[in-house]
Amino acid sequence: MAAEELPSEFDVVILGTGLAESVVAAAFSRVGQRVLHLDRRSYYAANWASFTFNSLLTWIQQHHEEPQPEELHDWSSLLEEGEELIYLSNTDSTSVRNLQVFCFTSEEGEEAEAQSPDAPNTTEEVSAGDAVKETSETESADSKYEETNQKPEEEEEEEQASQTEGEEPEADQPTPTAAQSQSEPTKKKISYAQLVKEGRRFNIDLVSKLLYSRGSLVDLLIKSNVSRYAEFKNVTRILTYRHGQVEQVPCSRADVFASRQLSVVEKRKLMRYLTSCVEETEEQRAYNGRPYLEFLCDQQLGNNLQHFLLHSIAMVTEDTPTEEGLASTRHFLRCLGRYGNTPFLFPVYGLGEIPQCFCRMCAVFGGIYCLRHSVTCLLVEKETNRCKAVIDSRGQRISCSHFVVEDGFVGADRKRLATPTRFLSRAVLITDGSILPSNSDQQVSMITVPPVAAGCPTVKMVELCPSTMTCMPGTHLVHLTCQSVGSAFEDLSPVVTRMFRTPQSHDQEKNPSVLWCLYFNMADGSEVKGHDLPSNVFVTFGPDGALSHEHAVSQAELIFKKILPEEDFCPPAPNPEDIIYDGENTSTGGEEEQSLQTEE
Amino acid sequence: MAIRELKVCLLGDTGVGKSSIVCRFVQDHFDHHISPTIGASFLTKTVPSGNELHKFLIWDTAGQERFHSLAPMYYRGSAAAVIVYDITKLDSFQTLKRWVKELKEHGPEDIVVAIAGNKNDLGDIREVPMKEAKEFADSIAAIFIETSARNAVNVEELFQKISKQIPPLENPEVESNDSFKLTRQPAPSYRRCC
Repeated sequence: MAAEELPSEFDVVILGTGLAESVVAAAFSRVGQRVLHLDRRSYYAANWASFTFNSLLTWIQQHHEEPQPEELHDWSSLLEEGEELIYLSNTDSTSVRNLQVFCFTSEEGEEAEAQSPDAPNTTEEVSAGDAVKETSETESADSKYEETNQKPEEEEEEEQASQTEGEEPEADQPTPTAAQSQSEPTKKKISYAQLVKEGRRFNIDLVSKLLYSRGSLVDLLIKSNVSRYAEFKNVTRILTYRHGQVEQVPCSRADVFASRQLSVVEKRKLMRYLTSCVEETEEQRAYNGRPYLEFLCDQQLGNNLQHFLLHSIAMVTEDTPTEEGLASTRHFLRCLGRYGNTPFLFPVYGLGEIPQCFCRMCAVFGGIYCLRHSVTCLLVEKETNRCKAVIDSRGQRISCSHFVVEDGFVGADRKRLATPTRFLSRAVLITDGSILPSNSDQQVSMITVPPVAAGCPTVKMVELCPSTMTCMPGTHLVHLTCQSVGSAFEDLSPVVTRMFRTPQSHDQEKNPSVLWCLYFNMADGSEVKGHDLPSNVFVTFGPDGALSHEHAVSQAELIFKKILPEEDFCPPAPNPEDIIYDGENTSTGGEEEQSLQTEE
Repeated sequence: MAIRELKVCLLGDTGVGKSSIVCRFVQDHFDHHISPTIGASFLTKTVPSGNELHKFLIWDTAGQERFHSLAPMYYRGSAAAVIVYDITKLDSFQTLKRWVKELKEHGPEDIVVAIAGNKNDLGDIREVPMKEAKEFADSIAAIFIETSARNAVNVEELFQKISKQIPPLENPEVESNDSFKLTRQPAPSYRRCC
């Protein structure tokens, strides 16, 4: 595993391994372009990444440290006649901010013994975790709430406190009573030490999105055969929050009929509405430009149905125009039933898998991958204003015809900022139970939370169960997302306090407890900005606040089409069964396969 | 007989013969000038094992190991991992520990690990004693075998050994959780709302 030199000539050099960059990489590599794909980070997927609990803690820590301004090396010696240098930004400190961490569970668990590095019989621990699961209701007394009295302004210290406390259990080992806790199902909350110990069972996404079953990402995954690298689960239910209650939203025919909260009249009305809105009518057109809410009101649907249709099915706000509300209602309905009873899919192991899958496709077709490796500057030919080559972090000159770079690596001075960057507010909660317990404890839920008070944002919430492989048994992972009004804590903690049990909440005995949570703001990638880089340099933008992945997929396709307008975007890769090796020439079966070079 | 799909991932330094081993196993073919396998993200071969058929889906690193940039998704859901080293290159044996560590970090907990010392046809320039490698394999409870992809020695045996170590399905119903792959033919649409 000795360090090798990179080849020095490529068609496309790509910096950043987020979704858009990874799709671009796969697309180019697939049609025979030589691709070099780099990321300065030590992990894939940039701000789209998923982390184990422990690597998330590292990520948090990194974002708390002052970014070390790297020494700008003068590479002008590598310049050739008629070239100039453009330095890229070497710190990506601007896209994530306001991190706040709270731990509401006891630091050391009854199983602190299991801290020893090679703890045997993990399976038993798992079942112990399962036993703990339904236990939370009875006790909260033994949890420590050290951090909760502190104010948000003290976030730095607070964060450090939680970091160091996390390391403590190893130092002062309390008398372990592991056997005891396994034999008798005492009502013990999962401790922080257990979260750390089972940390690799978590895959915590930085972004929270879902795949629409007929959305462009699903289409692309299938079209390109990248889908073979990933598995998915259906989102099993759509929930909403109103009058202080979590309710299930009936959205399929079966749901509507099975619903116990709807009256017979409501059921009929809802079915009639859903059937009628598929076709565009004169009546609907008359409402163009007027709020969808107004249209819904005039349909005489009643408050229940109106809430479901506006917030959970169209997922729009009260002032969204009718045509937009209807369009998203239709999209929702079109996506029902393709894979399951809701329109949404979620990838097993988390969303961070998707960029990795596209990277693999790129690598399979010869793309070269190198993490912990960056580009420090571009070599631009003055006369043509084109980027001829890049200089990597080791000072190697690598020539390329095109350069694709994630927004975060482009210095602020190069961007034309029309408006200040908007941010998304995010919260990640590890809880000890589902927000709406049901027969099955393996539900994946999409929850829409209308503004809890005037001026508050609409919050999208996704609750994941352990079978999605994103959290340890006995826990659920909850993602909250909204457009920032204030800091993530200011925007989202009111919702968390209302819907979950935290030290701040009152009379929430039945709600699941928050064991650990993280708040942070991330730059909203949908803010498209211009740049004054050479014309063969393409800038991709990070995750946006939408639930879908349309934005990243369309960015990637646009870049590909600009560079190679004649080529097919992500044609299907051959199936393994269709590749026939016969030494001399290689033929492939399948109808849509392009020419394929394998071995010589 | 029931067919069970088993994902096997290959690990090891560039040039130790990972692709050659798969190629030998799947196609019974050896290419002297094998270039990093392009276009084949995994190869499959089905072998009988007890009452089951094991369909191996053998994933290649696709060169992502070259600059230490294997993605965690590579390890997901693997039933077994084959870590390959070259018996004529001590370096490639010394990095085994690093691959084992990486596997522990990212791989499934119950993964079957096999260590294959490849190029055993080049015994005269051997740098890694078999005894040492065997001891290391034993210390981590891994299968150990020396192979020659070139001369078709022990390649079948390697996968047979893996097959034997795969625990039989106790309860097929439990195994099938409800995650799925997206395919060209979507599941028949049912329960549509309208």
